[in-house]
Amino acid sequence: MSSSINTACKSHNVHGALVTGVFICLAMVAVAQDAPLRVPSNAVAGQAASIATTGSGSATFYLRGPSISLKRDVELGQNIDLSAKELQTSGDYVAILCAGSCSSARFFVAPGKPATLTFLVHPSRAPVGLNDGINGVALTFDQFHNLVLAPATVQFELTAKGSTPTSRNVQTHDGIAWFRTSSGKSAGALQISASLNDVVARRVVQQVASDPCNLRIKGQRTAKGILVETEPVRDCSGNPVPDGTIVTFTAKDGHEVSFVDAPVKQDIARATMVAKGSVVVSAASGVATGNELRLGGQE
Amino acid sequence: MKQDYSYMKHHVRMRVSAMILLALLSSPTLFAADNAPQVTLDASKTSPRSVEALTQRAIVRDYKFAWTNLDAAMESNSAGLLNSLFAGTANDSLRGTVSSQQRTGMTSRYLNQRHKLEAVFYAPVGDVIELHDTAEYDFEIHDGDKTIHNEHAIVHYVVLMTPGADRWVIRQLQAVPQF
Repeated sequence: MSSSINTACKSHNVHGALVTGVFICLAMVAVAQDAPLRVPSNAVAGQAASIATTGSGSATFYLRGPSISLKRDVELGQNIDLSAKELQTSGDYVAILCAGSCSSARFFVAPGKPATLTFLVHPSRAPVGLNDGINGVALTFDQFHNLVLAPATVQFELTAKGSTPTSRNVQTHDGIAWFRTSSGKSAGALQISASLNDVVARRVVQQVASDPCNLRIKGQRTAKGILVETEPVRDCSGNPVPDGTIVTFTAKDGHEVSFVDAPVKQDIARATMVAKGSVVVSAASGVATGNELRLGGQE
Repeated sequence: MKQDYSYMKHHVRMRVSAMILLALLSSPTLFAADNAPQVTLDASKTSPRSVEALTQRAIVRDYKFAWTNLDAAMESNSAGLLNSLFAGTANDSLRGTVSSQQRTGMTSRYLNQRHKLEAVFYAPVGDVIELHDTAEYDFEIHDGDKTIHNEHAIVHYVVLMTPGADRWVIRQLQAVPQF
């Protein structure tokens, strides 16, 4: 909170007048301590407050805040009431009283209690077993969307199907609390909540299988060539990889090499390859390679 | 004759110099440069993610642009100037000020701005940054032609910015008594 008289103390160009100017300015500051308005010292957003005035007669009152600018005729010596709506936005306000000359005082309106949490979680899909792969940021706001800067404890809770929920408490700093964690071992929905008192925000991260692991294939000759297929394709944690994951089959027939890309469908990738002689078939998906399969020539 | 020619040459040179000087002094870009907010950013203590040099430059550029337009919007009571630089709560609040200034016939100015920004939080994936701004400016409030308030203000702001398609936008601009 501060007070000032609003006549500019700037226009003293001549050196000789400088000392006089300084005295005038100091005198004005001294007068400002007795400014005819007393502003609230602990105003809170969304709560009515009043400004006390001294003196007598009529004056014009102005209020300039972060989202408001108002002008009102007032009687000096009476309180100026400010409604809850006029003080909804947290920040600095300047109250000005003009009766002949103008006096002003500055005051702050603090945010209210936390009423909403803005909760940002990334990513929306994460492969299992990813180190520090999931993070969340919670921002605390009051009911008027002012950032609540007072420290508060946000509880983050992570719940995955088939595993014990884990939680951690993080204190906000300048209205922000955040966490970072690794993804779990099992594919499925990971429920993440951020709560502060009775305010809760929930998000879901879909944990998906990681890259294929331990690829194994089997095959047989048919009338059209060779039918090869994988065993159920899983990641290293045993989660079936999603449909559409590409498996590349390679057949080596002497000096000839042929490739077929096949998508996984219901855990298995399947392909028919044309080869007459004895062939060696292998499969790969991502960085995983499978066993080699030797099939004799067609009779 | 030769002396006359020399005199004329000197006279023309003087006039050209004077015209160039006049043109420079009256150039709006020169004044714009002088009145443009000065913005510095210290991102040395940011966590959990460090702010890349290119991002720092973009934030300084866009914050400066935002305050230039904020001053212009408050001077001319044109809320349109706030578009695309302020979003969400910050935009709503400033629009509220502009519309109530229009109703009351008031205007305000933020002159000789200097902003010392400190990045205090940068989200792990870079989708939100929190800044502390120690702003210094000459704050004027006018009722019509009459100046009713004029002070050299030092104001502390907590600022939230998020990246847009091609710029950083201010989502929260909240003054606090101190950091």
